[in-house]
Amino acid sequence: MLLSRFTFLVLLLVCCIVSYAQQPITGKTQDAANGRPIPGVTIRIPNSTRGTVSDAEGKFSIMTTSSNTTLVFSFTGYKTKTVAVNQSSGPLTISMEEDFAKLDEIVVTGMATTVKRRNLANAVATISSKELTGVAPAQTFDAALSGKVPGALITANSGAPGGGISVKLRGITSIFGNSQPLFIVDGVFFNNSSIPAALNDVTGAATAGNPQNQDNPSSRIADLNPNDIENVEILKGASAAALYGAKAAAGVVIITTKKGKSGRTNISFNQETGLVKARHLMGVRAFTAETAADLAGSASSTDPDVISARAWYKYKFQQAQAAGKIFDYEKEMFGETGLVLNTNISVSGGSDKTTFFVSGNRRKEDGIIKNTGYLNNSIRLNVDHKISDRVSIGVTTNYINSSADRGLTNNDNNGVTYGVALSSTPGWIDIHPNAQGEYPVDSFAASNPLQTRDRAINNETTNRFVGGGNLDAIFQQSKTSTTKVILRGGVDFFNFKTIGLFPRDLQFEKNSQLGHSIQGMSNNLNTNFAGFLVNTFNPNNNLTLSSTLGATYETGYFENITTVATNIITDQSNVDQSANATTRQFRMKYRDNGIFLQEDLTLIDAITLSGGVRFDRSTNNGDYKKYYVFPKAAASWNISKMSFWHSDVIDNLKLRAAYGQSGNVPPYGSKFISLLPSNINSYPGILLDNLRGNPDIKPERQTEMEMGVDFSILKGRISVEASYYNKKIYDLLLRHTLPASNGYVSEWKNSGDLRNRGIELGITAIPVNSPKVKWTTNINWWKNKAVVTKLTIPPFAIGSFGNSLGTFYLEEGQPATQIKGSVGGSLKLLGNAEPDFQTSWFNEVTFLKNFSFRLLLHWKKGGDNINLTQLLTDLGATSADYDDIINGKKAGVYRPSAGDASIWVQDASYIRIREIGLYYNIPLTNVKHIRGIRLGVSANNFFTWTKYKGYDPEVSNFGSNTMSTAQSRGSNGLSTGVDVMPYPASKRASFHLGIDF
Amino acid sequence: MKKYHQYIQLAVLAGIMLVCHACQKGEILNLNTPTDAIVLNPSKADLNNLVSGVESGMRRDAGTYLDDVSIIGREIYRFSNSEPRWVTDMLTSGLDNNTFYLTNPWASRYLVIRQCWLILQGAANCKSITDAERKGYTGFAKTIIGYQLLLNLNLTDVNGVRIPTADPTYIGPVIKDPGQVQDSILKYLADGAADLSGSSVIFSLSTGFTGFKDAAGLTKFNRALAARVDAYRKNWANVLTDLNGSFMDFSGKFSTGVYHFFSTGGGDQVNPNFIALNQTGEVRAVHPSFATDMMAGDDRISKAPLRNATVSQSGLSSNRDLYIWTALDAPISIIRNEELILLYAEAKIQLGLFPDAQVALNTIRTGHNLPPYGGANTTAALLNELLYQRRYSLLGEGHRWIDLRRYGRLGDLPIDRPNDKVWPNFPLPQTEVNI
Repeated sequence: MLLSRFTFLVLLLVCCIVSYAQQPITGKTQDAANGRPIPGVTIRIPNSTRGTVSDAEGKFSIMTTSSNTTLVFSFTGYKTKTVAVNQSSGPLTISMEEDFAKLDEIVVTGMATTVKRRNLANAVATISSKELTGVAPAQTFDAALSGKVPGALITANSGAPGGGISVKLRGITSIFGNSQPLFIVDGVFFNNSSIPAALNDVTGAATAGNPQNQDNPSSRIADLNPNDIENVEILKGASAAALYGAKAAAGVVIITTKKGKSGRTNISFNQETGLVKARHLMGVRAFTAETAADLAGSASSTDPDVISARAWYKYKFQQAQAAGKIFDYEKEMFGETGLVLNTNISVSGGSDKTTFFVSGNRRKEDGIIKNTGYLNNSIRLNVDHKISDRVSIGVTTNYINSSADRGLTNNDNNGVTYGVALSSTPGWIDIHPNAQGEYPVDSFAASNPLQTRDRAINNETTNRFVGGGNLDAIFQQSKTSTTKVILRGGVDFFNFKTIGLFPRDLQFEKNSQLGHSIQGMSNNLNTNFAGFLVNTFNPNNNLTLSSTLGATYETGYFENITTVATNIITDQSNVDQSANATTRQFRMKYRDNGIFLQEDLTLIDAITLSGGVRFDRSTNNGDYKKYYVFPKAAASWNISKMSFWHSDVIDNLKLRAAYGQSGNVPPYGSKFISLLPSNINSYPGILLDNLRGNPDIKPERQTEMEMGVDFSILKGRISVEASYYNKKIYDLLLRHTLPASNGYVSEWKNSGDLRNRGIELGITAIPVNSPKVKWTTNINWWKNKAVVTKLTIPPFAIGSFGNSLGTFYLEEGQPATQIKGSVGGSLKLLGNAEPDFQTSWFNEVTFLKNFSFRLLLHWKKGGDNINLTQLLTDLGATSADYDDIINGKKAGVYRPSAGDASIWVQDASYIRIREIGLYYNIPLTNVKHIRGIRLGVSANNFFTWTKYKGYDPEVSNFGSNTMSTAQSRGSNGLSTGVDVMPYPASKRASFHLGIDF
Repeated sequence: MKKYHQYIQLAVLAGIMLVCHACQKGEILNLNTPTDAIVLNPSKADLNNLVSGVESGMRRDAGTYLDDVSIIGREIYRFSNSEPRWVTDMLTSGLDNNTFYLTNPWASRYLVIRQCWLILQGAANCKSITDAERKGYTGFAKTIIGYQLLLNLNLTDVNGVRIPTADPTYIGPVIKDPGQVQDSILKYLADGAADLSGSSVIFSLSTGFTGFKDAAGLTKFNRALAARVDAYRKNWANVLTDLNGSFMDFSGKFSTGVYHFFSTGGGDQVNPNFIALNQTGEVRAVHPSFATDMMAGDDRISKAPLRNATVSQSGLSSNRDLYIWTALDAPISIIRNEELILLYAEAKIQLGLFPDAQVALNTIRTGHNLPPYGGANTTAALLNELLYQRRYSLLGEGHRWIDLRRYGRLGDLPIDRPNDKVWPNFPLPQTEVNI
């Protein structure tokens, strides 16, 4: 118990210091390059609990225990500086150098430990708040990640307000398990499910070609206010994320929100005002009298009905033409200009003991379709408090209220979505309402899309509370050893309400079900608790050993009740105002727990060795009692820190390697063979689910090996990070097809292996760094190849809509994302959804002191989509290029009837200016209460170069993480890139005003 | 002080261990639905729920099946803004082995069969029913197995089907001889009929089974199905025997029979193939030849009323709607008296008993406002007459394509566009090939 005695002594000493305060050391921190003060620099005395933070003018004051001591100055973005000081030396001026290569950046690696980037064994992507929202803010947090994460394939599902994004880190990590990363916000597991609104009851989208839900729900991560985020770290694979265990296979996105700093209270106001427009419209067919007549049947037909109908269409066309009533319905539908109004106010500050950050945010954005839009109101309060020098607590709370009107888009089988109805509506008929507000029947479609747009409602409303707390207590401290206890807990609760209201007089309702009122109510509660015991053993300057023992526990409970009412009373929406109503309920519950141990060793600040092991179990596993073991090990060697290293050119050189395993628990319910409700004539019935559960289901296991070299030259002016990874997934969770003749269409089974290999290269350079102009540029290049290395079951098609329109097809030895389809009756390889590579290029130029210009360019090369939007416009005879000639036939006739699925599999490469912005800080002199005013203009996703013939190459009819319920199948990890009449993607241009008080 | 620290350390460790273990309270079972475990010791109510599930499940993709048969048999066009393949694959570019029009009805029929096996298993395990009651369940289940198998055989024909067994993991051979499959179906039906005789039916069926809800009624239904299968099998004498046990009634209503029940009620299903008259975008239009080939005065034209505007897609046009289902809750026929009378006529023609055949044909003719048959008394002429009557009497109910195929007369079907083709059968689904 030597340590304990030591602790006691230290405690005693601390008490003494408090009572007999000595002379403080005072000083000022400033930027070495331009001499400007740096506020917020952390100043601490090593091996003590003493520390402070510099104030707004960069000034600081710290008490010391002895006359000669050492101070360590650290601040994000600057190199950490260690200074030996003497109490009598008078006020200090500490000039800090900018850390161009970000070597001193602190990165979270374990669940409770951090490491400097200099010693990191993995390529962890970090996105600062400036990169996230400081260029051209996106509508939602998930969209703001696009193009910023090397190794990721981020695809927007559609342009519908409220988001919906697929994030895939390092290729395909799961096909039918969770393929989306785990989001952790300030230690709280942030639910990112997409809950369908049961629109399928109207669209029938999942009733024919593909049973997967196609409701286009938003992702719940979109609730998070991007302006509250300080920093995002992305652990891309098992080698970095192994300690997150059985939930981390698809990667972990660790989000830290802003915290207050002691000192002066900062009040910051930001206003964004902007406009949104469709990125691209496909255009409509220019009819002639003859082509209009062709809609009634072939010119060669001898059928008298056809002949008279042709004449009638010709007449109608000529009449419309003469009256100047040829309409462009695509433009009317998707051509609206939406207004963006985002307001954010934050207040932060605090005392030495207590700091806080409060923010209020309102984001309002209209869609590019009338009656669609997004509104998000959120408030956040983060408070940190030091109970004593040894114990501190922190609380984060966030309440969110969001509402998205998403319109009715995507695939359907009843001709009711806007796009499907438009695809067969020629511009020479008039479907506008008359003076009495009555909509004519669209004589070419099952619904009048203008009527549906104006009268139907599809709304999602979320009320969400996310709160977390953590307690850090130094439990033992000596000169060489510190032991901390960290306790963390979080709760994420949301209520999610969906309303789909289709009045009874809509064209598709009035002769059929006489109106739908579809109302869904979901409640979700996630909790997570964790406790860690962290010991840092630091016998001398050359050795640090840190040990972590931890336990985690997470629970989840989800419940959805949806009522579908039909034959509704005019103008009423309550589900009881109807003749018929059906109610469905779905519940989901899990409990997961894990235990882990991690050891990190740092030698002479150059060699880092790390090892750990985690044990996990989950009630979703077939064997809920069994612990699955996930080990990890990592090593990095910073050669430039070795004593033999003397190079003026290369100032940092690091070799690194990391290995880790993680898992992916089976989805809830995959172990049951269920009997679903199927009533008839008021008799309750139960019918076997055609998906066969598997009581032996177990988690997928991922192993990842990552190797890399990082170096920087010219004093960090150019730094390079290169990584190679080999990520293998074993016991792939597959909902594989069965020969349907045994009764089941598919079955859950661990039945294959997958491999992703990839390269990530990043170069950051500062080509110009003069007091007047500074140009920072960052280029990332990455590619991934996903291959199915083993399949213990026969190859099978997993969507989209069958062979004749191109389908993803899992086959041993072939790319996981290959697309096959029938060409002339035989099944052929037609493409691959995986990009050949991606590149992003970020630039920031600051000039004339107060101007800053930022630009993010994103290039995705290769990667095919299945473009069925084009198919439907061909079928409806409204494609813009319908009358072009292919193989002697009109293009719009040739393509659908060629029996060639390769026509629909199209290259979805693009080069896009994701974000571009110019900001100006108004120089203020002699202004009392205002400390800064920023003005800016920005454009988000404004310029795209692509040959893809759809609204946008980023699209997904099947969503990315749509939840599976007892009766509907959710998304799988492959089927992004299927294009069926989406909500067209939008671009935005904004004006920004920011004021700091 | 020493002890104090030890206690804290111990308390923290104990706390962590507690977090790991105390919270894990056991397994989480299926919160949403019963599981297949119920057949291990089912109650009567469990068995009845399974029966209702079977009856309900028989409706799954029944509409798609009828579209398949009716479109290839050039009875109807299915125009859809959202689904091109009704006018491409079905008529011109080729049937695919992994597309919904085949895979969905195929899988649904086998799903119902699997559930019938669950009933057989459950009935055997149930301790609270009498033997007669047990036979009611098994007789019904076997009858439905036979019928569901027939529908899949109708699609793939010589490309074969598999015959499932009680073991859901067993994958039997693909039997490509339709005759052999038909014999299996007849065996299931015969076993079902044997169980039903002397059984007691304690389960409830929908009003689609009105008149056939008890053991005697279900036996008649079973025999009617057997008559259809025997006709396909060309066991002409057996057709007549089967019909004797069925509900065939020359003086009864043509519509008497067994139907799929639909309703707009909560938790129920609506008729998937109902489309109101004169719709646009989503249309089931009758092939123009239906009206042009029709005899004057035939009242069956009422099944294909004139539209107020011609409807057209991809170079195909029609001015008549299919209107045999007139509401969301209109039933879809499984088998009815009119078909039984025509099966009687067919068997009699094939057996050379022309006068009996003519009586049956004339029953149909006079029932539809046509004069009695005046044509030649030859097998060929009478068969032509029979096929005409079957075409008009059973429009849209899933027969014409199969009738012309079994008589080798698919070439009689009209070709609308230069590259259009008449497919003789569906391929075996991809999932049955890739095993």
